[in-house]
Amino acid sequence: MQSILNPGGIPFWRNVVFIQWAIQIVSAVVVIAIVSGFIVNVATEIHDRAIPFGFSFLDESAQIPIGESLIDHESSDSYLFGFAVAALNTVKASVFGVILATLLGIVIGVSRLSRNWILSRLALVYIETFRNIPLLIQLLFWFLIVLELPNVREGYIYFDAVYLNNSGLYLPWVSPMGGFWPWAILSFVGIVGAVYAFKYLAKREIETGQPSYPIIAGFAIFFVLTIVGLIIFSPLEIVIPERQEGPFGRLQGGARLTGSFFALLLGLVVYTSAFIAEIVRAGIQSVSRGQTEAARSLGLNTNAGLRYVIFPQAMRVIIPPLISQYLNLTKNSSLAAAIGYPDLVSVTSTMVQIAPAISLIGMVMVTYLAMSLFYSAVGNIYNRLTKYAGVG
Amino acid sequence: MKTKMLIAMLATVSVFAVAFSACTSDEGPTDADLQNAQATASAAQSALNDANARASEAEARADEAMKMADDAKMMADDAMMAMEETGGRLAQVQDRGHVICASRNDVPGYGSLDDAGRNVGFDIDLCRALAAAVIGDPEAIEIQFITAAERGPTIQSGEVDMLVRTVTWTTSRDAQWGNYAQTMFYDGQGFMVPADLGVTSAYELGGAAVCVTSGTTTELNMADFFRQNNLEYNPNVFEDTDVVLDAYESGQCDVFTNDRSQLAALRTALPNPDDHVILPETISEEPLGPVVPHGDDQWFDIVKTVMSGLIYAEAYGINSGNVGSVASGDNVKAKRLLGTEGTIGQEALGLSETFMQDVINAVGNYGEIYDRNLGPDGIDLPRENGRNALWSNAPCTDCPKGGQIYAAPLR
Repeated sequence: MQSILNPGGIPFWRNVVFIQWAIQIVSAVVVIAIVSGFIVNVATEIHDRAIPFGFSFLDESAQIPIGESLIDHESSDSYLFGFAVAALNTVKASVFGVILATLLGIVIGVSRLSRNWILSRLALVYIETFRNIPLLIQLLFWFLIVLELPNVREGYIYFDAVYLNNSGLYLPWVSPMGGFWPWAILSFVGIVGAVYAFKYLAKREIETGQPSYPIIAGFAIFFVLTIVGLIIFSPLEIVIPERQEGPFGRLQGGARLTGSFFALLLGLVVYTSAFIAEIVRAGIQSVSRGQTEAARSLGLNTNAGLRYVIFPQAMRVIIPPLISQYLNLTKNSSLAAAIGYPDLVSVTSTMVQIAPAISLIGMVMVTYLAMSLFYSAVGNIYNRLTKYAGVG
Repeated sequence: MKTKMLIAMLATVSVFAVAFSACTSDEGPTDADLQNAQATASAAQSALNDANARASEAEARADEAMKMADDAKMMADDAMMAMEETGGRLAQVQDRGHVICASRNDVPGYGSLDDAGRNVGFDIDLCRALAAAVIGDPEAIEIQFITAAERGPTIQSGEVDMLVRTVTWTTSRDAQWGNYAQTMFYDGQGFMVPADLGVTSAYELGGAAVCVTSGTTTELNMADFFRQNNLEYNPNVFEDTDVVLDAYESGQCDVFTNDRSQLAALRTALPNPDDHVILPETISEEPLGPVVPHGDDQWFDIVKTVMSGLIYAEAYGINSGNVGSVASGDNVKAKRLLGTEGTIGQEALGLSETFMQDVINAVGNYGEIYDRNLGPDGIDLPRENGRNALWSNAPCTDCPKGGQIYAAPLR
């Protein structure tokens, strides 16, 4: 038996297993040393300078105002609740931003490859303009454009129900009434039923060849139940924005897309979509031309070819860098403080006046990390599902 | 120091992020198809390049942070040693050759840039006064421009010698941030609205959208005021005063709330100042003044003495025009202040006997600083009979009707 350190008489320092282990251990020690060095340093400084630290402040009343929120917020609510409201605002900007930037990015990326000369040049100009101007400047630009709209008292009114001005876009919206939950449950049953009906009918169609209309049937089940629920329970009430009494004439009720949120979303979407467009272009170009020709020769038109042949292959190249863009977009949303959108960073910078800064900034870092890891996880799962199973 | 720690923590996190992305990129596509493999390889290559660039960037940042942390540690050690021997920050400042102040450049009157790009303003002059006192040169200053929200961390970390950025003195800031040296200006929070809305009182502001700068007592006072009076309102919170002004000007918000003096200053920057009114109510006490880092009593005392000196110089009638003649004149109190007779504690403070002569020669007395920046030559805030008049400026000797500018007597 040869020792594990000395297989075949090779000196242990030239043994691959030893070298790999040694590198791992040395790197781990270095990382741990650096991190613990920082932690110790911070801990000593906190102690020496009597910098406040701790988390007991979280359930105290924060007494800070937050301009817009997904859930009702009073300035007397606790720090933790205020933090959650702000985090939700960041999530809102991130989720809408990711969805819209992806759609716009795909459209522009595909246009970039179009055989239509003007279209592809326009896409090129778009990409090069928006990805080369710093995002903060773009945000301020969009925000100043929003400010150019007339103010709330002089703004545009459509159908006596939709208001557009520099404070935002106000739309009629629905608000739940007594029968909301029974209706929601019925609708959910409708969704489940629709899925089962679809699966059953689709299987039958494939097995027997009889046309069974699975998609139509599924939607029909869902819509019938939802509409019946609407009639029986009358769960929703339509709220139309109304002008308040008094000199300011602000609007109340309905849904409001604030000017700041709109400028933020526009800035993030336009900026990120330029990067996504390039990723999409690279992804499509990574699929060999022969695939396009094969799709044509099967009788698929350009769109169908893109959808069924090219995109599924391109996705494997697109997804990893796309996830990076999602993470960038989420982190970039922290620039919102400049244009008055109460995101996580904006709200916590108000809180640090009266609450321990280190604790709060730590919480902000963890929150962003959690959101980033979530996007990474989703991307990795998708990646695993779509990667090639074997050798072709 | 804390800011540096945060940079260090960020660097650590980014190292982790790089490591994480390196791990995840291992799970990339495993493609054997030749044509696709090429594309995948090039994508991987670019991802690798990207990762490399990010790694080296993170490394550079980590290095920098380490270096900064080392420097800071050395500085702190030096400071400790110096403090034991000669008295901490004063020695540091004199070694360095200039005073570092955290201030602003965005509000006329308090801190802004003149046509020649020079820092001017009430707060800036207080920094110059300090530089004249400890170094003998009012130009030996370095101004760090910071946002309102950065004030606490900046002074807590001790990276600046003095914070003079329209900072309101409050008990919790005094406990957490640093030591408040002296109230140099009495302010109070007010509201500005467009005149054509016809609003005449702050109690009529229900239903308004209110613009405010983040990270200020203003924001908290506003919340208190509206809650206390059961008024609905919609806050619009911005980081920079410039953007607040843009939003107010466009009518995105109806009300601009800030310290009254700053409202008056910013009103002059609007196209038609007369179209805007500042409502009569003052909803808070805002005593403004310089703050020094915790932990160095000598430095704290120096700043207090310089501020007292400015105030008493005005009370004694000493100004930049007559320093020389007063120093050799026969007013005993004035001569004590200027260091030509008796002492006001120069030796214990580690300052030259005649440091106040340098200060007054450089920036003048309190009244001159006020007039130049906030008074007739500046943004024209009335001072006569107001709170910012001298305590001694009373109609008669014993009436308590003077202003509130008062400081520790110089003896």
